[in-house]
Amino acid sequence: MTWPAIRTILDGAVVTAALAAVSIVFSLPLGLLLALLRASRIPVVTGLLAAFVSLVRATPFVTLVLFVFFILPAAGLELEPVPAAIVALTLNTAAFSSEIWRSALLTFPRDQLEAATAFGMSKRATFIRIVFPQIWRANLGPLVSEVTILLKCTPAVAVIGVVEITRAAGRVGAETYEPLPPFLVATLIYTALIATLVRGQRVVERRIARRFGLVRP
Amino acid sequence: MNGLLVVWESRDVFLWGAANTLSLVLGCLLLSIPVGILGAVVLTEAPAPLRRVFGEVVDLLRCVPFLLLAYVVYYGLPELGLRLDPWWAGLMSLTVYTTAYLAEIFRAAFLAVAPDNIEAAHAFGLSRSLIYRRIILPQVAITAAPVIGNQVITTIRDSALLMIITVQELTFAANFVSANHFTPFAPFAAAVGLYLLMSFVVEAGVRRMERVRKVRYG
Amino acid sequence: MAETDAAISVRGLCKDFDGFEVLRDIDLDLAPGTTTCILGPSGSGKSTFLRCLNWLEQPSAGSIRIDGKPIGRSGDGRAAKPMARRELAATRTSIAMVFQHFALWPHLTVLGNVTEAPVQVLGRPKREAEEEGRAILARVGLTEKADVYPHTLSGGQKQRVAISRALAMRPKVILFDEPTSALDPEMVGEVLCVIRELAREGLTMVVVTHEMSFAREVADTIVFMDGGRIREVAAPTDFFTNPQSDRARRFIFRN
Repeated sequence: MTWPAIRTILDGAVVTAALAAVSIVFSLPLGLLLALLRASRIPVVTGLLAAFVSLVRATPFVTLVLFVFFILPAAGLELEPVPAAIVALTLNTAAFSSEIWRSALLTFPRDQLEAATAFGMSKRATFIRIVFPQIWRANLGPLVSEVTILLKCTPAVAVIGVVEITRAAGRVGAETYEPLPPFLVATLIYTALIATLVRGQRVVERRIARRFGLVRP
Repeated sequence: MNGLLVVWESRDVFLWGAANTLSLVLGCLLLSIPVGILGAVVLTEAPAPLRRVFGEVVDLLRCVPFLLLAYVVYYGLPELGLRLDPWWAGLMSLTVYTTAYLAEIFRAAFLAVAPDNIEAAHAFGLSRSLIYRRIILPQVAITAAPVIGNQVITTIRDSALLMIITVQELTFAANFVSANHFTPFAPFAAAVGLYLLMSFVVEAGVRRMERVRKVRYG
Repeated sequence: MAETDAAISVRGLCKDFDGFEVLRDIDLDLAPGTTTCILGPSGSGKSTFLRCLNWLEQPSAGSIRIDGKPIGRSGDGRAAKPMARRELAATRTSIAMVFQHFALWPHLTVLGNVTEAPVQVLGRPKREAEEEGRAILARVGLTEKADVYPHTLSGGQKQRVAISRALAMRPKVILFDEPTSALDPEMVGEVLCVIRELAREGLTMVVVTHEMSFAREVADTIVFMDGGRIREVAAPTDFFTNPQSDRARRFIFRN
């Protein structure tokens, strides 16, 4: 494999990682919002959100990507492949992360909330000062796991024409008539990226557990 | 309306796609569950250096993006002289991937079996193979059901990626119908509906195991 | 007593844990058909010693013979080689154990727990094992519980199931590792009652226990351990009324 070919694949890897990064920034807060809305128990809203989350979690990501890319124009929103990919990635990870947030909110110790109310804290203040600082730290492990899964999902956006690592490898293979080497290289590069993230996650988990003495249920 | 009609008229395409998805997933599970269990036994019982090597391999496999793995198998098989239908590349990549995850799941499940009842089994003269067969696996089958159920749903979702290497499973079918009839909503909605049905079945199975667990373990 | 006459024969047993000496120079012969109670303060090594008898703990030195046959290491002294796993499992079938925390198999019914080892290890036919199992359960007063799962039982009932499980193996020796220590006080009696009955029937038993009055009443021999060594071996009346060592005197006084 020539160096320009490897460069092409590396560029593709950067695109893939960038797509994932943007989606993370949007989807984790969105997931939290979904979880909070479901916890608020407003009648119709919670039902719809629960259905939405169930649907997205049962649907394969590639199907979701195709769905978003082909359906949104019909609803009047014509999207380029890259924004469509980001929307699909965001919806997907928001649905999965909302389950993590929801479980954290449901299992949050009731007595701490009672104490906050007893001291006259508003619900908003309780969330910002008491609940959120604890749950994001306690659930860092599962959340980073979700991020890892997001990274592994992202190559699927190749199906709607986004030029990321999969397409890059395919392009090199089409030019050289030898598809296997570029895909092997792509796999190695991307796996190394994810493996580094996973190692980092374990180190961070251990450090947080030590500092805060948190034991995840 | 038009969309529904299109889906109905192309129902054999959808059924063929769904059949492929199911056959891939079931074929994968049939292979990866036993091999995953064996892998977990190695990860638990083998001498330390072998365990570490195996552990690294499993960890690394779990970091590979499935689509890229599928491509490698798809383009790799002809290099080995095997000119097979893409379905086989799909099955192989799905099996390798799922086995790595299941090995880790079973390993954690083995650790969760209360050590004192394994010790009692040793004290009563049960051999290691008997202990795995009669004491550890029956308990793991029930206690690890939710996690395994999750993995089955993940495998169903991963199977859709195989459309990109031209395996004619359910998402491929939906994409095909949508592209040929210019009605995108109905075909994809139908596919999503079928995937939802599959995941309901798996979750019902898990709930049943949860009921068995409640009866036996309280 | 010659080594071959004794039900259990221990010579020169030592055990180290990370350089810390837990058992030292244990020599003991226990006659068949007798009940031996091992007493001693916490940390005296009594449970460790018991667990060496069926090789759940591996001694650092010494030999053990059950019913004349060696366990854990075949051969003696320098020629001793560790037993193959299969041989060890086979030897263990003649020694049954009752654990402090019951260690029942949660995924099997009570009858399942009792018949599992006889069927799987000894190869007895299932029907025969079940018949015998039900008979044993009747002896300990648990006939109606044969087909339920262990989690529904009280501590005392669980321990009686554990004893039934041990009896079903028709063992030469039964080892009891603090059988009543994990039980609420009101259930201790029902378990001691069963053990007393077994002693009366002439089973060879070794019981590590804290229950002094029980030991006094039921044991044929008291073995007193302290600091990893055997300090006294005596008949109960001798031990409790006329202890030979200061340590024994202090122990009896405190309990």
